[in-house]
Amino acid sequence: MTLRSGRIYILPTSLGSAFGLMLFAMLLGSLNYGNNLGLALTFFLSALGVVAMHACHRNLEALVARAMDADPPFAGHEALFHIAVANPGRVPRCDLEAVATGAPESTVSVAAGSESSFTLRVPTRRRGSIVLERVEIATRFPYGLFRAWAVLHPGTHCLVYPQPARDAPPPPQEPGAAGGGAARRGEDDFAGLKDYHPGDPPRHIAWKAYARAGELLVKEFSGEAEVTPVFSLDDAPGSDLEARLSVLARWVLDAHARGLAFGLRLPGEDIAPEPGDAQRRRCLGALARFDAPEPDVA
Amino acid sequence: MSPEQAAGFRRLAWTTGGLVAALGPHLLRLKPWVSGFVLAACAWRLLAELRGWRLPPPLLRGMIAGTVTAGVFLSYSTITGLDGGTALLALMSALKLLEARNARDQTVLIFIGWFLCLASFLYAQDVRTAAWVLPTVWLLAAALLVVSRRGDDGPPLRPFRTTGAMLLKGAPIALILFSFFPRLAGGFWGAPSSERAVTGLTEEMSPGDISDLTLNDVVAFRVRFEGALPLRRDRYWRGLVFSQFDGYTWSRGDVQAFYREPTTRLDTPIDYTVTLEPTGQHMLFALDMVDRWTPGIARQSWDFSLRAAKPVNAVLRYEARSFPRYRAGEQITAGLRNLNLRLPPGRNPRTLELAGILRASARSDAEYIQAVLDLFRRQAFYYTLSPPGLARDSVDDFLFNTRRGFCGHFASAFTTLMRAAGIPARVVGGYQGGDWNPVGGYLIVRQSHAHAWSEVWLPGRGWSRVDPTAAVAPDRIERGIEASVAGSELLERGLMSDSEFAWQARMLWDNLNAEWNDWVVRFDRATQDEILSGLGFKEPGWAAFATALATGLALAVTLLALWLAYEFRPRRADPVVAAYRRFIRSLARKGIETGTGEAPRDFAKRVRRLRPDLSLPALAITETYLRLRYLPHPAAEDLRLLRNLVARFRP
Repeated sequence: MTLRSGRIYILPTSLGSAFGLMLFAMLLGSLNYGNNLGLALTFFLSALGVVAMHACHRNLEALVARAMDADPPFAGHEALFHIAVANPGRVPRCDLEAVATGAPESTVSVAAGSESSFTLRVPTRRRGSIVLERVEIATRFPYGLFRAWAVLHPGTHCLVYPQPARDAPPPPQEPGAAGGGAARRGEDDFAGLKDYHPGDPPRHIAWKAYARAGELLVKEFSGEAEVTPVFSLDDAPGSDLEARLSVLARWVLDAHARGLAFGLRLPGEDIAPEPGDAQRRRCLGALARFDAPEPDVA
Repeated sequence: MSPEQAAGFRRLAWTTGGLVAALGPHLLRLKPWVSGFVLAACAWRLLAELRGWRLPPPLLRGMIAGTVTAGVFLSYSTITGLDGGTALLALMSALKLLEARNARDQTVLIFIGWFLCLASFLYAQDVRTAAWVLPTVWLLAAALLVVSRRGDDGPPLRPFRTTGAMLLKGAPIALILFSFFPRLAGGFWGAPSSERAVTGLTEEMSPGDISDLTLNDVVAFRVRFEGALPLRRDRYWRGLVFSQFDGYTWSRGDVQAFYREPTTRLDTPIDYTVTLEPTGQHMLFALDMVDRWTPGIARQSWDFSLRAAKPVNAVLRYEARSFPRYRAGEQITAGLRNLNLRLPPGRNPRTLELAGILRASARSDAEYIQAVLDLFRRQAFYYTLSPPGLARDSVDDFLFNTRRGFCGHFASAFTTLMRAAGIPARVVGGYQGGDWNPVGGYLIVRQSHAHAWSEVWLPGRGWSRVDPTAAVAPDRIERGIEASVAGSELLERGLMSDSEFAWQARMLWDNLNAEWNDWVVRFDRATQDEILSGLGFKEPGWAAFATALATGLALAVTLLALWLAYEFRPRRADPVVAAYRRFIRSLARKGIETGTGEAPRDFAKRVRRLRPDLSLPALAITETYLRLRYLPHPAAEDLRLLRNLVARFRP
């Protein structure tokens, strides 16, 4: 969205009001003493104020702001909303601020013809999602006498994962409801090499093969020792739904950290076991969305 | 030092620098302890920031504040008024500096700095002060920019440059406000009191007073003549008349009410305009014999001098007409006659004796006057810039011992001799001569032109000017002071005339000062009315002011907006990208839009799928574009080709 002059508002700051009062006092003094140079000083500074007002307004004009995807946090952590801001002009835009309710303001400067981004750190309280409803892009540059701002309504949704339980019991060992045909991969017996995909555990990378061929390959193992777990809401202990989801989140994280393939079963949603980052994201996302409360608004 | 600490120090250094610059014009004027305290506080605060010292706790600051306020009260005997107020403002800025931790404290300091600049103008409005204050205001604004910045403020001089550009953009607005903001006739709460000592003539004259002034090259007033410049010997600028003598000091006396005798004007008048520098005195200066002057500005006293109702504390301009040939006061009242014959009893006995002897051997008053002048001329009397001090009976001491004197000594001795012989006489103080400034076409009268002469009353001739100095040193009157005393004495006093170049430079500088007085310092309601009627306003009233101000401001702000719009105009796209964008846009109009992150070749493939008829030109455009963008040395004709292809591309 391009910031246009009609949508940019401007008001003096408290410093600007103090500056105005100072000018008024100077004006009265100079008029009373019939002091022309005092008047010249007063008018010179008043003109500076007028120029500062125009420059402040201009500092926002024609900027192109774009809300980008947010990184989902765990509940209790900060959701990071990114807003890219591009300066198509020839003049650097200094000290731009992005302000959203509950988040500390983020300040960037954008060089002429370049792009930069704000990071709004919105704290989250609970699982579910959070919406960035309203953001002010503002500036007090130069001098801090005026504050110009424009309002964005990006409406960016950000999932909030359940907070992983701290002391979760280990997941139940028996494969139980695990899908019968699931590949059983473990770490016991070397089974062959396959192409690397992001998310494969780094300790499985065949570094010797990489040194030989320059290709990233991953060792595959087959074994009976570990089965592929599929975590189910029914298996998770806990007093209420949120506690059980937290336990599930902990299990998902642990399994991902060990490089295992894992699946997730929630009422109405069944995620087949797979290893990797994408699977972690998918599962945590399902936990965040499951029977989710109304999104929080930032 | 961490980067944050470095940034904190930089901010503090900008603020402190601005503050010290604003204090600059005051440092010599303030009491030494005030200047010393403020400078020490500035230095200590910067060191504390560098070394990480703790700032003084509130209790200690409170104690310092109380002490210095009491100090101001003791040294200035007031904490209001210009001197006391400025001292207090300077001290408070130092105290604020001692507790300045954050941006807010520093903005307060910057505001105080601006007030100190205003105070400098209340003391002096000359070119020198303005030349100092303008960069100071600029520096303070740059400091405000540095303090208000969130991010890095770039290279060290950037804030100064940015602020300079802003001030320049604001200049038209400031000029319009200055020109059309209506000036008040008087103040809201009374005119400022005169607290400063201005060098120049005063209401009293003791031996040596005027010769002290010759040291002083400061301009007393400037005169522009309507016609030709009057002869040097006619350039007697009457300031005030001393009628009372206590044997050592001449004074104006407390006699106020006398009938001013009519004057007879002879010959042709001289019209001129005087721009008088502030004197802090009531006297105005005019050529003898003044006949007409700017109405309401002064009254002519019974001794023919002009006196303003209020002390002249600001540059004052007035017009006047004088007749160099005149006859004044042919009738004299007994009271006035007695006043001008009075001598302090028992003082200067030898002079009285001498007067008796000389008068006895003269047949008439005129002959007696001539005899006295001859005495000065023939006997060993010297005209000198550094006369020795005189005893309590100053005329006796001068006539019979030292015999070395400046104009004041001769005038005093001559007048005493006249009065002793029964001729009504008085001393007139003022200026004589003046330097012609060919650059500006006006006469500069300096303090060094200060002069004293005598007036005697003779039956049938009235008051006539007699300048005893002319008898001793005729060159003083005819050619100026440089010609009348020995070169070594001038050299000693730094009055030797300069080289041609230096002289011209001085004349240019003086002309600048004169124009400055005319256009800036003396810019008043009358000048505004003149400008307004020049702009075609029939009757300059509030409506005219409002119209001129509003129109001027609208124009100036429009100019500013245009200037900023030009500065902030978008970058011109690279011609290659611009041509390719035209291609994209023409497809977008047909509903084929590029996806986010879609590479040009992928887009071309999609175009082929969607519109096989456009496949060939789209592919050609894409390939040419890619060649231009990504080849290390793209061919110039490719750009022409791309433009042609895009121009002919009609989806």
